[in-house]
Amino acid sequence: MSGLETVKIIVDAEKEASKMLNEAQDKAVEIRQQVDVAIASEREKRLSKARNEAESIVQQAEVEGKAEAARLQKESEGRIKQDLQRASAAHSTAVKALLEIIMS
Amino acid sequence: MSETSKFTDDILTASKEKSRQIVEQAEEEHRRLLAEAASAISNEENQILRNANAEAEGIRRREISEVRHQVKLLEQSEKDRILTSVLDDVKRKLRESTQDRDVYFKYLTRLATDAITHLGMEHVTIHLTSDDLKRVDPTQFTREIEKLMPVKVEISKEPIDASGGVVVASKDGRIRIVNTFEQRLEALEPRLLIEAGRILFDER
Repeated sequence: MSGLETVKIIVDAEKEASKMLNEAQDKAVEIRQQVDVAIASEREKRLSKARNEAESIVQQAEVEGKAEAARLQKESEGRIKQDLQRASAAHSTAVKALLEIIMS
Repeated sequence: MSETSKFTDDILTASKEKSRQIVEQAEEEHRRLLAEAASAISNEENQILRNANAEAEGIRRREISEVRHQVKLLEQSEKDRILTSVLDDVKRKLRESTQDRDVYFKYLTRLATDAITHLGMEHVTIHLTSDDLKRVDPTQFTREIEKLMPVKVEISKEPIDASGGVVVASKDGRIRIVNTFEQRLEALEPRLLIEAGRILFDER
């Protein structure tokens, strides 16, 4: 092998090596560019799911709150009704007691 | 293998290794950024859910609170209605008590002696309602009072505006002790309300 041929083989090898490095750099740039897209996509997907879950929590609370309020109202009205029936039954006792205070 | 082949192999091997490192470094960076982003997204998710849970708790509390408020108003309104009805009956029965001459005469005498004691004077003028001026014998009333305490009593012919009771005044009319039904009701109101609350609503 002549010296010229040897130099050509070496130059070709270096060109090949340089090409390899350039391709690796290009791939690295491409990988880095994909990160932002991947993050944005993942963020949108997960936050969208979280927002839907949040909406569901709030809606559920409205339903449960109204149901609890209705139950409480019914229970309270029943208790008030009983209390007032007892109070009405004690009406004449109260009138008598107050008159005694006034006239004592 | 010739020296040249070995040299070019070394060049290419080194280049391959460097290329592998470049890609691996980019992939590592990719994984790290994704992991950091995942953590940040997790925080955002948690914040969204925390806000939703806080809002949900607020909604539940508001619904319950509104009902409690409405129930309280209803209860208070009904209690007021019953209490007013009792007080109205008390006033009516108090007015009716003036029809029982003996009972009322004793009561009127006590109202007058209490007022005279408060006034602390030896000569007093007693004012009665127009109805009482008609139904109460002034001589008997005066005698009854003077029998109970050392005092000189004069019954005024000017009636007072009340449903019962007396106004006792000093001789010159400058000092007056009001002991009418209305005044007693007003003065005793706090005690009456407490007693009524205790009997009607078992309030302590």
